[in-house]
Amino acid sequence: MDGMTSIQPEKAKAGRGEFHGQLVALLPKLRVQALALTRNRAAAEDLVQDAVANALAAQDSFTPGTNFAAWMHRILRNRFISTLRRQRETTDIEDLPMSLFAVGAAHDDRLVLKELSRALGRLPADQREALFMVVLQGLSYEEVAEATGCAVGTAKSRVFRARRQLQAWLEGEERPAPRPDRDRRLPDIVTPGIGADRANV
Amino acid sequence: MSKAEQKRPGEPGERPGGRQEQGVEQAFDLWLQRGLHQLYDNVANEPIPDALLKLIEEDRAARERAAKE
Repeated sequence: MDGMTSIQPEKAKAGRGEFHGQLVALLPKLRVQALALTRNRAAAEDLVQDAVANALAAQDSFTPGTNFAAWMHRILRNRFISTLRRQRETTDIEDLPMSLFAVGAAHDDRLVLKELSRALGRLPADQREALFMVVLQGLSYEEVAEATGCAVGTAKSRVFRARRQLQAWLEGEERPAPRPDRDRRLPDIVTPGIGADRANV
Repeated sequence: MSKAEQKRPGEPGERPGGRQEQGVEQAFDLWLQRGLHQLYDNVANEPIPDALLKLIEEDRAARERAAKE
C-alpha cells in the first residue's frame, strides 16, 4: 500500500493496542466517507469491511503518532478504486440517506435535502470525497491531500468547486459563475453508475 | 467547523464588488454544512455491525497473543 512507512518492531508493538482503538473510533466516519464514494449503502458497508481488513493486514506499516485518519482514508480510497477497476460500472441505484424519510423533518426540508442529496450524486467523485472529508470528517486540507494523494491546492480547489457547483445546481443553474480556477480535474475516481460527463476525466 | 473551513481557499475576497456575492456564498456554505450533517449524521450514528467489530477484536487478540509468545 502506498504512502506507508516501515517502522521498528518495538515501536509497532507499542502502538498496536492504540491502533485497534483508533480504528474502531474512526468507523462511523469511515462509513460516511464510504457512502460518499459509493453512493450505495450495501456497497459502502462492503467497502468499509474490506478497507478494515486491508488496514489490519497492513497495520505494521502504520507509524504510531502519525495521522491515522489520513492513513485510513487513503486505504479506504485505494480499496474503492481497486474495487471499481474490478467491477467497472456496476450501476448502483443511488441510495438516499434514511434521514430523508425521518418523520421529524418538515416536508419542505425533506424536499430540499433530497435535492441536495441528488446534487451530491452529480458531483465528480473526487470533489464529493474532498467535500465530505472537510465538512463532515473535519479534516484539514493538508490531511485531505495526504489521504487522496494530491497537492494541498488541489484539495482546496476540489472543495471550493464542489461548494460552488452545488450552489449553482440548487439555485437552478447548470454551472457556477466563472472563476479564475487554477486546478483542473484529476482523473482519479469515477463513480459507479454515473455517466462519463460526471466522471472526473 | 472543521479545520479546513477556518480558511476559505479560492474565494474572491479582494475582488471589488464581490462582497455581496461572497456573503451569499458563505451563507450557502453554512447551509450546506448543516444539510450534509442532517443527511449523514444518522449514518455515522448507526450501530457498527458486529461482524466488523469482531474482525477488529479478533485481530487485536491474536496480536496480543503473538506478542506474549
